[in-house]
Amino acid sequence: MRSVRLQKLKKSFRDGTVISDVSLNMPAGKFFALLGPSGCGKTTLLRLIAGLEKADSGKIFIGDEDVTDLPIHKRPINIVFQNYALFPHLDVFDNVAYSLKLEKLPKRIIEQKVLKILEAFHLENHIYKRVTELSGGQQQRVALARAIVNEPDVLLLDEPLAALDFKLREKMLIELIELQDKLKTTFLYVTHDQFEALTVADQMAIMNHHGEIEQIGTPKEIYEFPLSSFVARFVGTTNIMTGTLCNLDKEPEIEIEQLGRFKIDLSQKHKKEWMVEGCNIIMSIRPEKIYISKNVVENFSNSLKGHVQSIVYHGRSTQYNILLKNGMRIQVFEQNEEHFPQQVIDYDNEVNLYWQKENAVILEK
Amino acid sequence: MKSLSKSQVPFSFGAPAMIWQVLFFYLPLALIVISSFIKAADNGLIEGLTLDHVTFFLRPLYLKVICSSFILAISNTIICFLIAYPLAYFIAFTAKRFGNLFLILVIVPFWTNFLLHVYAWFFVLDKDGFLNILLKGLGLVQDPVSHLNTPFAVIIMMVYYYLPFMVFPLYSSLERMDVRLIEASRDLGATWLQTFRRIILPLTKRGLKAGFFLVYIPSFGEFVIPELMGGDRQMFVGTVIADYILGEETGALGAAFTVLAMVFMLLSAVVIYWIIERFIPGKSHG
Repeated sequence: MRSVRLQKLKKSFRDGTVISDVSLNMPAGKFFALLGPSGCGKTTLLRLIAGLEKADSGKIFIGDEDVTDLPIHKRPINIVFQNYALFPHLDVFDNVAYSLKLEKLPKRIIEQKVLKILEAFHLENHIYKRVTELSGGQQQRVALARAIVNEPDVLLLDEPLAALDFKLREKMLIELIELQDKLKTTFLYVTHDQFEALTVADQMAIMNHHGEIEQIGTPKEIYEFPLSSFVARFVGTTNIMTGTLCNLDKEPEIEIEQLGRFKIDLSQKHKKEWMVEGCNIIMSIRPEKIYISKNVVENFSNSLKGHVQSIVYHGRSTQYNILLKNGMRIQVFEQNEEHFPQQVIDYDNEVNLYWQKENAVILEK
Repeated sequence: MKSLSKSQVPFSFGAPAMIWQVLFFYLPLALIVISSFIKAADNGLIEGLTLDHVTFFLRPLYLKVICSSFILAISNTIICFLIAYPLAYFIAFTAKRFGNLFLILVIVPFWTNFLLHVYAWFFVLDKDGFLNILLKGLGLVQDPVSHLNTPFAVIIMMVYYYLPFMVFPLYSSLERMDVRLIEASRDLGATWLQTFRRIILPLTKRGLKAGFFLVYIPSFGEFVIPELMGGDRQMFVGTVIADYILGEETGALGAAFTVLAMVFMLLSAVVIYWIIERFIPGKSHG
């Protein structure tokens, strides 16, 4: 178990995809997720770390070792490819044993290691099957087994669950977390799916379209306290409102055209240098942080009126799309806690929206 | 799994080709086999069966001819393979969108008249040909000799002519291979050479076999190229067959030698097949 440290990595291709000046520290033995939209260069970053691509400039360290110029087959890093890249002419055993055979280990030891890992992955009944005869989930497991059997320092996972259906994906996510916990190998999980990233990661980094890292933190930090509107929008769902900052010295507020003023929390921790009276700001509120009611409720710092435009029933929660009087739409999630809620909110109802100022995040425009 | 549309194609679709093959290949072949064992009387009637025609050729002279043909065919095949594999690899993986252009470049010589090739090579290999001009210019040769009518000329022309037969099957199986398999192998610790032996070669085995036999079998019986480029110094299977078939009242001997050569060729092909299967791991793929 060793850390991965990227120092000012740069890479550009003729077709325009780019990694610009990425510095990252993935702590040893942790589950690290790299989240970004499709085509943002996160797979390129992974390929740089693995050695499948050469960086234009910058350095890559595994632990304290500079591996920037180490050829791919000498790096203590293995990849789980998106399409698994299993060798179709070999059976399950030979696929998993591939790296061990290259190391020229004694046959007996190879057999022991492979059988042990296949058992752990519930593949003991498929040892001599061709990989093309396996289901997607089984192929996924073979790919994982093949990548960890020679105990790499770092495991890179490139959207490994993209080809699986939702239920299986949820199950595999849990298995991955448990596996990482057991092995203590440093995992780097690359995905465009925020649900996967939030689920697995001890720490995560968000990459934007320009191949830059926008924010690094724990899933909770990223979700609750995004540092940019890109992160706020990309991770989870959110409502973004733009306005101007006012009343900075006393009780800070955001003034939104046609809607009025709303209290915001700019206490010590959230106050930034760029925040000056009258500057343009963005307020982001997660849909689940808003309370919706037809009645008047006390004890909230902010309230707003609107009309229900549509209702989407999700099972555990219901999503209300509310039209505000300035023409803007807001999403609200409400937990479905009871079979028979006391108040039924229906189409076209006029409703009150409430939120606490601490639950809104203020970002620079 | 057999798809419905596949099994629905009626038998009659293949019938014209099959009738053609039977009429103009299998039937004549059977006649050749039969006539090589038939003892004919002076008046042309069949007297009975005999092994005389076949045993006539079981002499060092003719076994040497078969050997020469084998050496010619196998060296042609191996040289073609050694040139074609890197070329096919380059076209499939490196050339990318120019791949089709390269494929056309490979096949263009094939569309040109065969005799034109031969005469072009005369100009290259002759005593005052381009090859000698080049060698002289480089100071490698002082007293140039003609390269025509040498084994060298024969093999050059053979490789030149048969190369596309090797390039195309190799290209088509390389092109179908997923590049990520190469990356996965490298990632798991294999050097490039190990990757080639353990992944690339096995996955292109089908193309390799196709290319091997597309080149090996016809070049074993090749008649025209040795005749035109090799002069009359060396005898090959094709030369002997032509001599006897066209000779006066030696048709039966010609047929017998054809059968003998064919048996040897098939046996050697089986051995080559076995060697490929034995030394390239993994089941056939791609």
